[in-house]
Amino acid sequence: MLEFFTWIDNSMLASMAKAYGGVFVVVQMFHLLALALLGGCVLLADLRLLGVLMTAVPSETVARETDRWFNLALLVIVLSGIFMTGAVAMKLYYNEMFWAKMTALAVGVLFVYTVRRPLLRSAAHVSLSPLALRGMALASLVTWFTVAACGRWIGFS
Amino acid sequence: MNELLVRFATWLDGFEASTALHESIYMYSWIETTHVLTLMVFLGMLMLIDLRMLGLAFADVPAPRIAAALDKPMVIGFVVMVITGFVLFFAIPERTTNSIWFRLKVVLLIAAGINAWLFRRRIRSLEQTLPERGPMPKPLRLGAALSLAFWAGVVVFGRAIAYDWFDCHKDLTPFMSWLAGCVELS
Repeated sequence: MLEFFTWIDNSMLASMAKAYGGVFVVVQMFHLLALALLGGCVLLADLRLLGVLMTAVPSETVARETDRWFNLALLVIVLSGIFMTGAVAMKLYYNEMFWAKMTALAVGVLFVYTVRRPLLRSAAHVSLSPLALRGMALASLVTWFTVAACGRWIGFS
Repeated sequence: MNELLVRFATWLDGFEASTALHESIYMYSWIETTHVLTLMVFLGMLMLIDLRMLGLAFADVPAPRIAAALDKPMVIGFVVMVITGFVLFFAIPERTTNSIWFRLKVVLLIAAGINAWLFRRRIRSLEQTLPERGPMPKPLRLGAALSLAFWAGVVVFGRAIAYDWFDCHKDLTPFMSWLAGCVELS
């Protein structure tokens, strides 16, 4: 892993980000805007499963619509995130919060694409165990909150 | 005007609480983290509402139903952002007052506010004629697009406040110095 970070630190990506400070800032802004969209989708979808928000719209519809925008937001976040990592690779390699965030992110992505979506698409939501749906919604909220909070804290630590 | 603003900032800066907050190890970070993470509540809901107006999300659900359901969390997020925003300003009043980015952010906030007010008026006058599905009529789509642009700008300028490229102590061009409102108090 250290080798990978040393490599990315010496790559063209890093030189570009280091030479033009403005580029880093612009990319960071896209990262932040995509965070709002991703967080909004997670929040809406999970609060719908918990029966708090948008109960007048079928749960399946909410899941389907938020999934689409979640995908786009995640793509923007990952691409901009890789660029930002390239710019400060060595600093991040020795930052505990960065690894906490990456761990939470890996858990979150795996959870969404291997557990959450297959389950929510397997059957009508009313036929699924309410306890399982609620547990899943809570786990999702906690995971994505952790990703975002660790991300912000990288800047402080 | 600038002198008045700077005097006000200096007065705020004189409070012990302001210094304590600025120099605190965790408190300032927690408040800023809350401010940033609440973007997911406020801006997340706002984006989904605007995307619905444009017909890009929840296209087969009537728009007023989406707006009604997401209005409350959006307002809650907004209130949290305003409160934490004021506290953040109180912690670093002088530098923020003379920040070009903060000034641009306030201008965009006002623009976003006016746009939201116009949008609400338009949607009320069109209420009976709104289509059940798909994109809303053009004036509403325009309002939604402007809303997305203004708020994206607010976030971008807000993030930029952290950078000190155009702080008053730097060698600024007369125009930038004027924009930042750098004044020498007598």
